[in-house]
Amino acid sequence: MINATKKWIFLKASSIVLVPLMAWFVINLVSIYDKDYVDIVNFFSTQPSKFLTSLLMIVAFFYSSLSISEIFEDYVYDEKIKNFANKALNIFAIIIPLFTIIIIFNLTL
Amino acid sequence: MNKENPLSPHIQIYSWNISSLISISHRVVGVVNIVILTLVCLWIALLLLGEANYEYIKFFLQSFFGKFLIVGIIWSFTFQILSEIRHLFWDFGYGFELKTSKISGLIVIFGSFVLTILIYLFGKGIF
Repeated sequence: MINATKKWIFLKASSIVLVPLMAWFVINLVSIYDKDYVDIVNFFSTQPSKFLTSLLMIVAFFYSSLSISEIFEDYVYDEKIKNFANKALNIFAIIIPLFTIIIIFNLTL
Repeated sequence: MNKENPLSPHIQIYSWNISSLISISHRVVGVVNIVILTLVCLWIALLLLGEANYEYIKFFLQSFFGKFLIVGIIWSFTFQILSEIRHLFWDFGYGFELKTSKISGLIVIFGSFVLTILIYLFGKGIF
């Protein structure tokens, strides 16, 4: 299996997982965004939202790094810039969800 | 494999129709959504600063601009959800006919606005 095929399969698999997670998150976001500090910390620090938010971050950043790298592939001409952009994107897609998950698992009132 | 991949022609050379509108919007919204999720991560990180400091964020979120941001986030997410479902149907071999493609494109555009209203009302417990 060539890399492009693997990438496509990962992109599609992550999008199947992402669709219900995004729907779940956006519905909950509307119900909590203007609530008090205690309510919001309670939301992110209790199950199942703790697990689902962490999963959303992992899958969403993974999916985005794959889809944005497709945009680089289509529109960036310079190989060096493209490689640098892809590396920066991958680092960003690992660090941001990792830090967020660490924060979520350390949130307490 | 040849490293000199052919590049996509830039968007300005195409004549606009529903398919191209959805296609470019899907890409733009995908990038916007990762910015939104990064802001959500920042929002979660700011919870570490404690209740007193969170009052500033709460004040912003309860303002007109905060509500506008939330409605924008809902639209951006619902657009991507519907567009992603459209792509998944294509991946299974359905919806390639020109008429079906146009109809599904219109469903993505109008459905995203209708869903935005419904999700906001549902999330606020209005029904």
